[in-house]
Amino acid sequence: MSLTLFHRHVLEDYLAGFEAKANPNHLSVIRRPAIFSVLAHRGSEVLVEDGLKSIESIQLRNCAPGEWLVVSTTSGASTIENLLGEIAGASAVDQSDSRVLLQISGPNVRKILAKCVAVDLHADAFAIGASANMLCCHVAANLARTGADTFEITVPRSFAGSVFEEMMEMGREFALTAAFAD
Amino acid sequence: MASLITCPHCGTRPKEEFSIRGTALARPHPAASEEDWHAYVYLRENPKGRYQEYWHHAGGCRRFLIVERDNVTHDVFSVVDAVAIRGMSE
Repeated sequence: MSLTLFHRHVLEDYLAGFEAKANPNHLSVIRRPAIFSVLAHRGSEVLVEDGLKSIESIQLRNCAPGEWLVVSTTSGASTIENLLGEIAGASAVDQSDSRVLLQISGPNVRKILAKCVAVDLHADAFAIGASANMLCCHVAANLARTGADTFEITVPRSFAGSVFEEMMEMGREFALTAAFAD
Repeated sequence: MASLITCPHCGTRPKEEFSIRGTALARPHPAASEEDWHAYVYLRENPKGRYQEYWHHAGGCRRFLIVERDNVTHDVFSVVDAVAIRGMSE
Protein backbone atom coordinates (compact mmCIF):
# COMPACT_ATOMS: atom_id res chain seq x y z
CA MET A 1 0.00 0.00 0.00
CA SER A 2 1.38 3.36 -0.90
CA LEU A 3 0.74 6.31 1.33
CA THR A 4 1.23 9.89 0.22
CA LEU A 5 2.12 12.19 3.08
CA PHE A 6 1.92 15.88 2.49
CA HIS A 7 2.44 18.87 4.71
CA ARG A 8 -0.72 20.33 6.18
CA HIS A 9 -0.39 23.45 8.28
CA VAL A 10 -1.96 23.36 11.74
CA LEU A 11 -3.85 26.62 11.05
CA GLU A 12 -5.29 25.41 7.74
CA ASP A 13 -8.75 24.90 9.24
CA TYR A 14 -8.67 28.16 11.18
CA LEU A 15 -7.90 30.18 8.05
CA ALA A 16 -10.60 28.66 5.86
CA GLY A 17 -13.20 31.21 4.87
CA PHE A 18 -11.17 34.34 5.51
CA GLU A 19 -11.37 37.03 2.87
CA ALA A 20 -8.59 36.96 0.31
CA LYS A 21 -7.87 40.68 0.33
CA ALA A 22 -5.56 41.83 3.11
CA ASN A 23 -6.52 44.87 5.17
CA PRO A 24 -3.87 47.31 6.46
CA ASN A 25 -3.78 45.32 9.71
CA HIS A 26 -2.90 41.85 8.62
CA LEU A 27 -1.80 38.61 10.24
CA SER A 28 0.14 36.44 7.90
CA VAL A 29 1.02 32.85 8.67
CA ILE A 30 4.39 31.76 7.33
CA ARG A 31 3.77 28.33 5.90
CA ARG A 32 7.06 26.45 6.29
CA PRO A 33 9.79 28.39 8.10
CA ALA A 34 12.95 26.70 9.33
CA ILE A 35 13.12 27.18 13.10
CA PHE A 36 15.93 25.90 15.30
CA SER A 37 16.57 26.30 18.98
CA VAL A 38 20.22 26.83 19.79
CA LEU A 39 21.81 26.44 23.21
CA ALA A 40 25.35 27.53 23.94
CA HIS A 41 27.53 25.26 26.03
CA ARG A 42 28.70 26.73 29.31
CA GLY A 43 31.40 29.32 28.73
CA SER A 44 30.91 29.66 24.97
CA GLU A 45 27.86 31.95 24.99
CA VAL A 46 29.68 34.91 23.43
CA LEU A 47 31.38 32.83 20.74
CA VAL A 48 28.12 31.15 19.78
CA GLU A 49 26.26 34.46 19.60
CA ASP A 50 28.98 35.91 17.34
CA GLY A 51 28.83 32.80 15.18
CA LEU A 52 25.05 33.03 14.87
CA LYS A 53 25.19 36.73 14.02
CA SER A 54 27.62 36.05 11.19
CA ILE A 55 25.13 33.80 9.36
CA GLU A 56 23.32 35.95 6.81
CA SER A 57 20.29 33.86 5.91
CA ILE A 58 18.88 33.58 9.44
CA GLN A 59 17.12 35.80 11.95
CA LEU A 60 18.20 35.47 15.54
CA ARG A 61 15.67 35.58 18.39
CA ASN A 62 16.68 35.90 22.02
CA CYS A 63 15.10 33.44 24.43
CA ALA A 64 17.30 33.38 27.52
CA PRO A 65 21.00 33.77 28.37
CA GLY A 66 22.78 31.34 26.04
CA GLU A 67 19.58 30.32 24.27
CA TRP A 68 18.25 31.49 20.93
CA LEU A 69 15.69 30.70 18.29
CA VAL A 70 17.02 30.74 14.75
CA VAL A 71 14.37 31.51 12.15
CA SER A 72 14.78 31.38 8.42
CA THR A 73 12.17 31.85 5.73
CA THR A 74 14.66 31.73 2.88
CA SER A 75 16.76 28.63 3.56
CA GLY A 76 15.62 25.09 4.18
CA ALA A 77 16.02 23.25 7.47
CA SER A 78 18.90 21.07 6.24
CA THR A 79 20.89 24.09 5.06
CA ILE A 80 20.43 25.81 8.41
CA GLU A 81 21.30 22.62 10.25
CA ASN A 82 24.63 22.42 8.41
CA LEU A 83 25.40 26.08 9.10
CA LEU A 84 24.60 25.71 12.81
CA GLY A 85 26.63 22.50 13.00
CA GLU A 86 29.74 24.48 12.12
CA ILE A 87 29.46 26.66 15.24
CA ALA A 88 31.66 25.27 17.99
CA GLY A 89 30.15 25.03 21.46
CA ALA A 90 26.52 25.12 20.32
CA SER A 91 23.77 22.54 20.29
CA ALA A 92 20.96 23.05 17.79
CA VAL A 93 17.66 21.22 17.48
CA ASP A 94 15.24 21.50 14.58
CA GLN A 95 11.95 22.96 15.87
CA SER A 96 10.40 23.69 12.47
CA ASP A 97 7.55 21.25 13.04
CA SER A 98 6.98 22.29 16.64
CA ARG A 99 6.59 26.04 16.16
CA VAL A 100 4.25 28.21 14.15
CA LEU A 101 5.45 31.55 12.86
CA LEU A 102 2.91 34.38 12.71
CA GLN A 103 3.69 37.78 11.28
CA ILE A 104 1.43 40.64 12.30
CA SER A 105 1.73 44.05 10.69
CA GLY A 106 -0.23 47.24 10.23
CA PRO A 107 -0.69 50.72 11.67
CA ASN A 108 -2.59 49.44 14.75
CA VAL A 109 -0.36 46.47 15.46
CA ARG A 110 0.84 47.81 18.81
CA LYS A 111 -2.73 48.43 19.97
CA ILE A 112 -3.62 44.86 19.07
CA LEU A 113 -0.53 43.42 20.75
CA ALA A 114 -1.15 45.54 23.84
CA LYS A 115 -4.13 43.25 24.48
CA CYS A 116 -2.03 40.13 23.97
CA VAL A 117 1.26 40.75 25.79
CA ALA A 118 2.18 42.60 28.98
CA VAL A 119 5.44 44.04 27.66
CA ASP A 120 6.12 47.63 26.63
CA LEU A 121 6.46 47.54 22.85
CA HIS A 122 7.24 51.25 22.34
CA ALA A 123 10.14 51.70 19.93
CA ASP A 124 12.30 53.11 22.75
CA ALA A 125 11.83 49.99 24.86
CA PHE A 126 11.51 47.34 22.15
CA ALA A 127 13.43 48.50 19.09
CA ILE A 128 13.50 46.90 15.65
CA GLY A 129 15.45 43.66 15.96
CA ALA A 130 14.52 43.18 19.63
CA SER A 131 13.03 39.86 20.63
CA ALA A 132 12.11 38.09 23.85
CA ASN A 133 10.09 35.23 25.26
CA MET A 134 6.86 36.40 26.84
CA LEU A 135 3.30 35.35 27.49
CA CYS A 136 1.24 36.11 24.41
CA CYS A 137 -2.48 35.35 24.81
CA HIS A 138 -1.60 33.21 27.88
CA VAL A 139 0.93 31.13 25.92
CA ALA A 140 4.70 31.29 26.34
CA ALA A 141 5.76 32.60 22.94
CA ASN A 142 8.64 34.46 21.38
CA LEU A 143 7.88 37.93 20.10
CA ALA A 144 10.25 39.80 17.80
CA ARG A 145 10.03 43.23 16.23
CA THR A 146 11.05 42.98 12.59
CA GLY A 147 9.90 46.43 11.47
CA ALA A 148 8.39 49.65 12.79
CA ASP A 149 4.89 48.14 12.52
CA THR A 150 5.75 44.48 12.04
CA PHE A 151 6.12 41.81 14.69
CA GLU A 152 6.75 38.09 14.42
CA ILE A 153 5.41 35.64 16.96
CA THR A 154 6.70 32.10 17.36
CA VAL A 155 4.26 29.90 19.24
CA PRO A 156 4.28 26.19 20.05
CA ARG A 157 2.34 24.33 17.39
CA SER A 158 -0.33 22.87 19.66
CA PHE A 159 -1.16 26.33 21.05
CA ALA A 160 -1.19 28.04 17.64
CA GLY A 161 -4.93 27.66 17.18
CA SER A 162 -5.81 29.26 20.49
CA VAL A 163 -3.30 32.10 20.05
CA PHE A 164 -4.51 32.69 16.50
CA GLU A 165 -8.17 32.88 17.50
CA GLU A 166 -7.44 35.20 20.41
CA MET A 167 -5.34 37.51 18.25
CA MET A 168 -8.07 37.69 15.62
CA GLU A 169 -10.53 38.54 18.40
CA MET A 170 -8.25 41.31 19.66
CA GLY A 171 -7.75 42.60 16.13
CA ARG A 172 -11.41 42.62 15.22
CA GLU A 173 -11.92 46.31 16.09
CA PHE A 174 -9.04 47.13 13.73
CA ALA A 175 -10.36 44.86 10.95
CA LEU A 176 -7.47 42.44 11.24
CA THR A 177 -7.37 39.96 8.38
CA ALA A 178 -5.40 36.73 8.18
CA ALA A 179 -3.99 34.56 5.44
CA PHE A 180 -1.08 32.31 4.63
CA ALA A 181 1.93 34.25 3.44
CA ASP A 182 2.17 32.57 0.04
CA MET B 1 1.24 39.96 45.84
CA ALA B 2 3.99 41.79 44.06
CA SER B 3 2.59 42.12 40.56
CA LEU B 4 5.60 43.33 38.59
CA ILE B 5 8.89 41.48 38.73
CA THR B 6 11.96 42.83 37.00
CA CYS B 7 13.65 39.75 35.59
CA PRO B 8 17.41 40.31 35.19
CA HIS B 9 17.23 38.78 31.70
CA CYS B 10 13.85 39.86 30.34
CA GLY B 11 13.01 43.14 32.07
CA THR B 12 9.81 44.04 33.90
CA ARG B 13 7.19 41.34 33.57
CA PRO B 14 3.81 40.57 35.18
CA LYS B 15 3.62 37.92 37.89
CA GLU B 16 1.50 35.69 35.61
CA GLU B 17 4.67 34.79 33.71
CA PHE B 18 6.23 33.28 36.83
CA SER B 19 5.70 30.20 38.89
CA ILE B 20 6.59 30.52 42.58
CA ARG B 21 8.75 27.59 43.69
CA GLY B 22 8.93 28.21 47.42
CA THR B 23 11.40 29.55 49.92
CA ALA B 24 14.99 29.80 48.70
CA LEU B 25 16.73 27.50 51.16
CA ALA B 26 20.33 26.37 51.01
CA ARG B 27 20.47 22.69 50.06
CA PRO B 28 22.03 20.49 52.78
CA HIS B 29 25.17 18.51 52.13
CA PRO B 30 24.37 15.07 50.64
CA ALA B 31 25.76 13.44 53.79
CA ALA B 32 23.71 15.63 56.13
CA SER B 33 21.56 13.99 58.76
CA GLU B 34 18.01 12.84 58.14
CA GLU B 35 16.72 15.62 60.39
CA ASP B 36 18.41 18.23 58.20
CA TRP B 37 16.96 16.73 55.03
CA HIS B 38 13.51 16.43 56.59
CA ALA B 39 13.68 20.09 57.55
CA TYR B 40 14.86 21.06 54.07
CA VAL B 41 12.13 19.14 52.28
CA TYR B 42 9.14 19.64 54.60
CA LEU B 43 9.57 22.35 57.20
CA ARG B 44 8.94 25.99 56.34
CA GLU B 45 9.08 29.13 58.43
CA ASN B 46 6.10 30.93 56.83
CA PRO B 47 7.51 34.32 57.84
CA LYS B 48 5.64 37.59 57.81
CA GLY B 49 7.66 40.27 56.09
CA ARG B 50 10.79 40.13 54.05
CA TYR B 51 12.03 36.81 52.67
CA GLN B 52 13.57 35.10 49.67
CA GLU B 53 11.77 32.81 47.26
CA TYR B 54 12.56 30.89 44.10
CA TRP B 55 10.55 32.18 41.17
CA HIS B 56 10.67 30.30 37.89
CA HIS B 57 10.22 32.56 34.87
CA ALA B 58 8.11 29.96 33.09
CA GLY B 59 6.64 32.34 30.52
CA GLY B 60 9.94 34.00 29.64
CA CYS B 61 13.55 32.97 29.92
CA ARG B 62 12.70 29.84 31.95
CA ARG B 63 15.46 30.66 34.45
CA PHE B 64 15.14 30.19 38.20
CA LEU B 65 15.31 33.54 39.94
CA ILE B 66 15.62 34.43 43.58
CA VAL B 67 13.12 37.14 44.47
CA GLU B 68 13.48 38.97 47.75
CA ARG B 69 10.15 40.50 48.63
CA ASP B 70 7.99 41.58 51.52
CA ASN B 71 4.72 39.68 51.74
CA VAL B 72 3.16 42.41 53.89
CA THR B 73 3.97 45.55 51.91
CA HIS B 74 4.39 43.80 48.51
CA ASP B 75 7.74 45.52 47.98
CA VAL B 76 10.26 43.70 45.81
CA PHE B 77 13.81 44.34 46.98
CA SER B 78 15.87 42.32 44.55
CA VAL B 79 15.57 39.81 41.74
CA VAL B 80 18.65 37.85 40.75
CA ASP B 81 19.34 34.71 38.76
CA ALA B 82 19.63 31.76 41.14
CA VAL B 83 23.00 30.92 39.62
CA ALA B 84 24.38 34.24 40.79
CA ILE B 85 23.61 33.50 44.43
CA ARG B 86 23.82 29.75 44.76
CA GLY B 87 26.59 29.16 42.22
CA MET B 88 24.51 26.40 40.62
CA SER B 89 26.54 26.43 37.45
CA GLU B 90 29.65 25.23 39.27
